Parts: sequence; structure tokens; C-alpha cells
Amino acid sequence: MSGMRTAFMDRAAALPAPPPTFSRAAVVIGLGILITYLIGLGVLGVTPWAIFERLPRLFSIVLTMFPPTPGSEAHFWTYLEALGETLAIAFVGTTVASIFAFPLGFLAARNVIANRILHFMSRRVLDCVRSVDTLIWALIWINVVGLGPFAGALAIASTDFAALAKLMSEAIETADQGPVEGIVAAGGNRFHVIRFGLLPQVLPIFASQALYYFESNTRSATIIGIVGAGGIGLYLSEMIRVLEWQEAAFLILMVLATVAAIDVVSRQLRAAIIGAPRG
Amino acid sequence: MLVLEGVNKTFGNTHAVQDVNLSIEPGQFIGVIGRSGAGKSTLLRMLNRLGEPTSGRITWNDTDVTALKGRDLRDWRRRCAMIFQHFNLVPRLDVLNNVLLGRVAYTPFWRAALKAWTRDDRAMAMAALDQLDMSGIAAQRADHLSGGQQQRVAICRALMQEPEVILADEPVASLDPRNSRIVMDALQRINRHFGLTVLCNLHSLDLARTYCDRLIGMAAGRVVFDDVPAALTDDAVRELYGMEANEVIGAADTAPQTGAMPVPMPA
Repeated sequence: MSGMRTAFMDRAAALPAPPPTFSRAAVVIGLGILITYLIGLGVLGVTPWAIFERLPRLFSIVLTMFPPTPGSEAHFWTYLEALGETLAIAFVGTTVASIFAFPLGFLAARNVIANRILHFMSRRVLDCVRSVDTLIWALIWINVVGLGPFAGALAIASTDFAALAKLMSEAIETADQGPVEGIVAAGGNRFHVIRFGLLPQVLPIFASQALYYFESNTRSATIIGIVGAGGIGLYLSEMIRVLEWQEAAFLILMVLATVAAIDVVSRQLRAAIIGAPRG
Repeated sequence: MLVLEGVNKTFGNTHAVQDVNLSIEPGQFIGVIGRSGAGKSTLLRMLNRLGEPTSGRITWNDTDVTALKGRDLRDWRRRCAMIFQHFNLVPRLDVLNNVLLGRVAYTPFWRAALKAWTRDDRAMAMAALDQLDMSGIAAQRADHLSGGQQQRVAICRALMQEPEVILADEPVASLDPRNSRIVMDALQRINRHFGLTVLCNLHSLDLARTYCDRLIGMAAGRVVFDDVPAALTDDAVRELYGMEANEVIGAADTAPQTGAMPVPMPA
């Protein structure tokens, strides 16, 4: 034992014990999660090893997917058109959502609308709209405007305008107050403050969020296609239903490739929008 | 003449500014000094109503500043331009447009919103920049500039307001000594050249002594000193700065070149 170690150990003997690695709170929370998990398994009537018994079935499905194929060239073109439709649903939905979210974000921002009641109301309305999933909106809109891509775009617009408006209002509320004070002190009115104090700060954030939503909506648009809101999801659910796993796999790969491509492009666009090199 | 009568400002139980009575002659260069938390910023921000006084009255000539609302209040803010410690420019906007924002009170909203400033305003902005040796960087984005440059842009914006008073809230506290001199020189030129009243919060006694005609010392929200810089004796400094006094005096006597640095805290 080195001299330093001995010296420290002697000193430590006179000190109170070091704090425990796991605090009492951490132990209680950990146990709580474990117990809740076990209760959940009981409620669902599943055992953790049930999945292992069924794994061979999953493997056989995966095997029947190979090789993925569109079936015929005619199918391929149909699927490509449907993919285009899915993209259009995502794009139109996100755009409509952004157009509505932009002004609403300002209404829901505490530092723009000083009226507490109006602020509270707009916040709660947005929360309600946002908490209804896109899939449910799709089912609702299908009943209003009929099956097809229009219902899909409306479903995406419905959920996302509320989500984007909330993000927007939070960006406005956390915006740097420096430029705002600069404009106020120069004698600017409320509109000048919004135009120059807030807008330049929140616009890039908003644009980047909208892009991100477009990206994630490409996935959502596929899912809502399954309930009949148009696009490639319709074909995907059809192929799964008739157990055409090879074609289903091909469709999944098409969606995957598209999402990956959009992801790359939008990441670069977002970096370009947000990127404000200082120096 | 700017007159403060019995001005108070409280935040909860804290008396940030207590019973301040002052009258300020036009054309003076006034330094407001004191340790941080003494109420200097709070006082200055009440003058253009970025902060509301809890009680008391502020008048400019015959106008009751504390009673102004809406358009009149905005016009008053136009007439007493403020310069901030952190410049408060619009970071993503170019220098010229930042300077032109000093014209918002003169310009219809649609013109300002579209940055469709008049030819004369644009020319005036270039001239203001030129006066501070900044016309060469008119097209650069504000957030690409150094602190000293940003503060000079902020001064140009203030000049565009054609103000009668300039309130400078710790204008050099974020700057290095060289840039502090440049910015203080610019404020002094404006004061001498255009006869504008300048009220400047300063942490550094050295700068305050160099540039100001009159010093107002604050401690714990009260005005405890109000005289020409020559009258600021070591005893007066002790009253103003308390525990920090020796460091302030030492810094001013032995190392004037560090005058722009914040007063060091006692260890």
C-alpha cells in the first residue's frame, strides 16, 4: 500500500461514511418500475417467454419475404404512384399544418398575448387536438370527406398544426429577450417587436421543425393509408392480409428508402437553416 | 431637463431603488456608479419605462414620463435611446437593417416589416455607420461581428432615433479595455457634438472619472453621492463600494489600463 493510500485511509477513518451509491429514492423508484411491469404482464396475461415460443413463426415470415419483389412491372408502377401519393399526403398535410400553426403559435405564446384566459384557452385547445392520434383523425376525416388521400392529408394537418403551434409558442416564449428590448427601447410597437424581435429568432426553428414533421409524416402517411386514407399503406395492408409477404417486403423497402432519402435531405436543410455560425 | 421625484422600485420585499430625487441638465454626461445590485440598471430602465416605477414621478421638460401610454410612450422611448450591455441587436439581421431599426418610430409598419426603408433613411444609416468607422461592414450579419463592433452598431441604431437623451446601461461591461475606450469615446463625441444628454451606468470608476461631467453614486438603491468626479474621495468610494472599495481604489490608482474590467470581487 502506497504512502498516499495509507494517508488517505487514515484521514477517511475520522470522516463520516461516504454517501451510498444508490440513494433510497433510486431504490424505491426502481422497485416501483419492476412491480408495475409485473402487474402489467399479469393484466395482459402474457409471460416473458411466450415470445420465445413464437419466434420461429416470426422467422418463417421473414424467410418468406425473400426475395422482396413487386410481383410484376405493372404492380411496380402502381406502387410507385402510391408512394408518390403518400409523399403528397405528407407534404400537403405538413404544409397546411404549418400555415395554421404559425399564427396560432403567436396566439398561444405568453409573451405575445398577455391575456391569461385567452392564452390558457388556446393552449388547452391545442393540447386536446394534439392528443388525438393521426390514425384517429384519419378515421374521422374518412367519414367526413370519404376514403382517399384527401382524408389522409387532413388527418396529418389536424394533429400536426396543434403540435407545431405548441412548439412554435414554446420557441417564442424562450426566445432571447435582448432583441425584443432593443426594438421596444427604439420606440417600436407590438408588431415591430414580433417582426424583428421574435420572428428572426423563431422562423429558423419553425422551419426546421416543419421539415422534421414532414419527415416523420412520411411514416405516418404510410400508416394511415392502412385505414383507407390513400397512398402506399393501402397496398401494404392488402399484401399482408393476403399473405403476399414478398410484395409486402418490397413495399416496406420502398418506404424505408424514401424515408432514409428524406431524412438525409432534411437533415442537411435543417442544418443550413439553423446553422448560424458565430464568430 | 430630466427630473426624478421620489422614485421607488420594489421587487417583492427588495427595494431596488429607494426615494431617488435628481435633476439632470440637458447636455450633461452623467455616470451612474456603484457596485452590482445597487440599483443602477433598475433606475435607468425606469427612465424609458422598460421598468415601471413603484412610486414617484419622472418628468422630461413638462412631460410626465411616468404617465405616458401607447403612442406617446413609444415616442418618448424614441427620444431617449437606450444602449445595452449585451447590445440587443437582431442577430440574424445585417448591420444596415439593424441600424435602420432605430427608425421604427418614424416609419409605417408595412415599410419597416418589408425593410422598405426610405432612400433618405438608408443614406442616414450609412452616414451614422461611417461616423463610427463601420460603413465597410454594413452588409454583414450582426452576429458575425465582435462585441465592440456590435456595440457601435447599437450606438448607430440609437442615433437613428434622433434622440435627446441616451441611456447607456453598462455599455462596456462585456467589452475588452480597447473596445471600451472606443465605445466610450463614441458616446463622448455624441455628447459633445450633438449636445445629447448621456446617462451611463458604469462599473468602472476609472472610466467614470475619465468621461463623465457628473457622477451619481448609488448604494442599496439610494443615491449616496452626486457631484463632479473630482469630489469623489476615497472615503466616498468606501461608502459606495463597501467591502470592494480597496480593490476599486487600487485598480484605479495602479492599473488604469484595466479600468474597463469589472471590479474584482473580494476573495
